[in-house]
Amino acid sequence: MAFLDNSGDIILDAVLTDAGRKRLARGDGTFKVTKYAFGDDEIDYSSYNANHDSGSAYTDLEILQTPILEAFTNNRSSLKSRLITLTNNNLLYLPQLVLNERYDRTERLNLAGFSSGSFLVSVNAATGIDLNDKEATQGMFIVGDAPSDTSKSNYIRIDQGLITDKLDGMKQLSSELMEQQYMIQIDNRFGSIVDINESEQGSPAFIDDDQIATYYVTRGVGSYVSLCATGQITDPQGDSYVGAFDGDAEIITGPRGTKLEFSILASSNLQNSEYLFDTVGNGTIEDTVATKETYKVLDTTVKVTGVTTGYSIDVPVRFIRETGVVTP
Amino acid sequence: MANSFKTLLPEDVATTRTLLHEAIPITGTIVSGTYEPAAKTDGNNIKTFSHGMYEAVYDYPYLSSSANHIIDITAGYSSGSTLCVEDPAAENVQDAKKINIYNQMAQVLVGYDTNGKIKEFDRDGSSATDTKMRNCFFINFARLLTKDEIKKDSFRMDLYSSSSFYTASGQRHDAFTLGDYGAQTSYKTDSPAGEYGLLYTASAAPRGKIMGHIYYQAGIAVLTSSYFTGAFGDPLGAAEQVDNRGTYVPSGPAGNGTMMNDQLTGSTITELANAFRFNVDNIQFNNTTELNSTIYFCRANNTEFNYSSNTTYLSESQIRVKGNNPSANPVSYITTVGLYSPDNELLAVAKLSEPLKKTPSNELTLRVRLDY
Repeated sequence: MAFLDNSGDIILDAVLTDAGRKRLARGDGTFKVTKYAFGDDEIDYSSYNANHDSGSAYTDLEILQTPILEAFTNNRSSLKSRLITLTNNNLLYLPQLVLNERYDRTERLNLAGFSSGSFLVSVNAATGIDLNDKEATQGMFIVGDAPSDTSKSNYIRIDQGLITDKLDGMKQLSSELMEQQYMIQIDNRFGSIVDINESEQGSPAFIDDDQIATYYVTRGVGSYVSLCATGQITDPQGDSYVGAFDGDAEIITGPRGTKLEFSILASSNLQNSEYLFDTVGNGTIEDTVATKETYKVLDTTVKVTGVTTGYSIDVPVRFIRETGVVTP
Repeated sequence: MANSFKTLLPEDVATTRTLLHEAIPITGTIVSGTYEPAAKTDGNNIKTFSHGMYEAVYDYPYLSSSANHIIDITAGYSSGSTLCVEDPAAENVQDAKKINIYNQMAQVLVGYDTNGKIKEFDRDGSSATDTKMRNCFFINFARLLTKDEIKKDSFRMDLYSSSSFYTASGQRHDAFTLGDYGAQTSYKTDSPAGEYGLLYTASAAPRGKIMGHIYYQAGIAVLTSSYFTGAFGDPLGAAEQVDNRGTYVPSGPAGNGTMMNDQLTGSTITELANAFRFNVDNIQFNNTTELNSTIYFCRANNTEFNYSSNTTYLSESQIRVKGNNPSANPVSYITTVGLYSPDNELLAVAKLSEPLKKTPSNELTLRVRLDY
């Protein structure tokens, strides 16, 4: 997309998204605009200088001169970061979402050439057996065909809170900032979201034109969302220590909100066929250390957004499927 | 509770209807087959068909993907016309096709009488008079040009009434400008295809003679053949000539083939269309696009949308724009407006051409218009 001409009057370039056009074409009344949000996708707030040498007129000069792109029609490409309404204007900190990998069941495999910093999801039993046979990968992946079995399968945990040591981690976040609901988006062709404690497969609220399924998970419904524990994570000897390397380990240093735990069930297409690996996959990797198996991999991203604050985090996921043994 | 969405209230949504007009000029050089004017063959922006029912004019050689179809030209006469010969032995060239074309157009544009019979085109649009147009040319404009309709009192067609009148300097003359003069207030409404205006030869009252109709919504001009008073013929026809100025001079067999009635009976529809194209000097009109719009007034009150979920907004969870001062006003910048469904699917996006600063000390209303 080109930049919008910003030399004259302020103009507004409006388009229907592809998802909007799809709903309009369906003609079933699902094209219904009921709410709006403001976004600031192009803004880099790090260029805001509250103490600019030349005076306050220069604090945000660079931001105000940021050229703005024309509107994207892809519904996933816009409004990545939304503006938030908060009643308190005196806040200095806002909560973030972070991956909590302090427990080995919520940890990503960090093995060069194998995981690329992603959560590894084995798509069938044969792949799971292969990965479990190796010391480096044993217990370090999501069992995509049985993800709710947390004795074998890893899962993803995302914590919400203030990542600062200047505020007390013994307190919960204020109710205004605490997320009660999360939105999880995953490519429906590859997998679906599973509640790790209740073994229930989630049901998407909708699947858009790009096959992106959107799930909403709410605190008190299922066991996806629960409160983080309060306590210190820097004093292992202290009574309130919550930084242990177990399922209750906390990672956020300041006040905490809720945590989201979920896993991924590989789609039946990935479980039973290599078609998607071949067509939209990311090639083949080879285990050069042990038995020289080859695997096909498919990289994707699971996006998690807090419905209350709009904060989001992209979780990298790699689906993996064993394809055979390299002939010497 | 923190929120990043705001619900649209009934007073935040308005619907409007706007008519948008564009000027459409069609020069005679395009219509006459501008891409091969010298060759005595079909100009290759002119497409003919083996069925011979009409001829299509493009704005560029029609085999190119850049070409746009702009006009179809055809001709026909009523079965009630004096030109129509019922004796099969003496039948006119493409007699059935010419009647078929006339009936097709009359069915669509004039309709039927109470007995189910196809009505003929009436010259002044009044069924009280019996001045019918039984031998007609039809100029069908593509929807690409007319859009929703032709704007009333904007249609003008400069047309030579003869192929053979020249001044001493070799310029053709006897051209008239046909127009739907005054149609803004005097158009007709009794056509099944919508509204139509009468094509006059003069702009000032009493506006000269009525030479045809322009059907605004259908995008079709109907012209009586009696407009052509001089020699008339296909410049591409084998019996014709091109003079030393490269200009067509109809000749034809002595005493035959040069006047309109002879051409209507003795020429094919394609030849008639060719001859018609040769007489067009210019066509212009304004089209109309009807825009139905929904306007969403997206309001950011002073207490709203002052914080951001932008990743760069925070540094170790601390809000950058506040420095280290909790009592400093929060600041955010709006670049995008998103319109959402009840289940939070993004249905439309609007982008501002420059960021707008939002603080607790200001309020903004952004007007997002979606056109359908």
